[in-house]
Amino acid sequence: LRHQLRSLDQVLLSLLDERARLVAEVAVSDAGRRAAVEDMLSRHDGPFPPQGVTEVFQAIDRHCAGIGAENRRSARGRAP
Amino acid sequence: MILRLAPGTPEEAVQSLRESLEREGLRVLRSPEGARPILAVAGAVAGKLPPKLVEELRVRPEIEEMVPALGELLLVARAMRDLPSVVDVGGVRIGGGEVVVIAGPCSVEGRDAVLEVARKVAECGAHLLRGGAFKPRTSPYAFQGFGVEGLRQLKDAGEAVGLPVVSEIMDASDLASFLEHGIDCLQIGARNMQNFTLLKAVARANRPVLLKRGLAATAEEWLYAAEYLFEGGCEQVILCERGIRTFEKATRNTLDLTVLPLLREWSHVPVVVDPAHAAGIARIIPPLARASIAAGADGVAVEVHLNPAEARSDGPQALLPSELVGIVSDARIMAAATGRRLHRSPG
Repeated sequence: LRHQLRSLDQVLLSLLDERARLVAEVAVSDAGRRAAVEDMLSRHDGPFPPQGVTEVFQAIDRHCAGIGAENRRSARGRAP
Repeated sequence: MILRLAPGTPEEAVQSLRESLEREGLRVLRSPEGARPILAVAGAVAGKLPPKLVEELRVRPEIEEMVPALGELLLVARAMRDLPSVVDVGGVRIGGGEVVVIAGPCSVEGRDAVLEVARKVAECGAHLLRGGAFKPRTSPYAFQGFGVEGLRQLKDAGEAVGLPVVSEIMDASDLASFLEHGIDCLQIGARNMQNFTLLKAVARANRPVLLKRGLAATAEEWLYAAEYLFEGGCEQVILCERGIRTFEKATRNTLDLTVLPLLREWSHVPVVVDPAHAAGIARIIPPLARASIAAGADGVAVEVHLNPAEARSDGPQALLPSELVGIVSDARIMAAATGRRLHRSPG
């Protein structure tokens, strides 16, 4: 089971990395993100506590925000 | 037999070894790159080198490893490369830890139609535009494709949306047209997988080749077809599993994902999966695409049409652009879940 936990953590990290790459290419408004998280929560029926879901996604958004802004700034400077 | 020499072996030692093998009447092939020289030995009787020669090779200090080949699958063999090979199709790298999505209409149906689909394919995040201009159809009365004009329209659409293009070549006499119109990747279809004249001609073109598996070809026969391409000088080969004929009638073909992990063991050549031709039913393509990437495919190839009911070929297996979005999204998730990532085209 410890091995399974490590594997799941590795997949979570890979997915977070992939998400960060995607965020770097698109801008999403704060309101849009809040709505998306609320929508997920409304359909969520797993054991992870709802408050935890909100906090985790807030943390993800906070950490991705810098990556997105920086990447889009440099993309604007590139030739099409 | 494949001889993996120690990294940094002097060129004189490699040549000396090569000459000693050739004196035995054997043909020696060499891996094109890498830190270590790798030689493959062809022409042995029944695939086996004479025991005396094997003993001599065993004591040569420059040979680090002697790997028996699967039959005479040499240039495609995994042991011929230190790392799995990566094929560059117009800037899109296939293999090497990135997953790609190839999408487009089964047939190029006209300039405006292919451009419209190409725009959707690019918007959905796919990486290569596919489209048939020369169509191998079971019935001689079915739409045969627009030929050279179709190639022109496909390439123009690809350039307009910034995607490299893939199209099937059926006859070696059309090769000049494919090259002239800048088709980035030449597809050899299932029906032509063992058309050795075509394989030899295409190999000389120095273009990436997407080699589909024959309708009833074993994995070994498929790899031998790829070996023809390598032997002819083409190093840029991508295999494409597209389903094989079985007794099952519920689907058009049976998608053989069991072969993917074996191909990884046997060969360095990247593999993509075409779940559309296997299924023949659009609605079951998404789970098959996910399963393909989970099983190790370097990408998936699907067909897209704005109005599948009116497609001039293979409409029942064509996805709508809205469904292609899901395929790309799933590819991203499955790639990450298997320690890889979705290819990101240079912006």
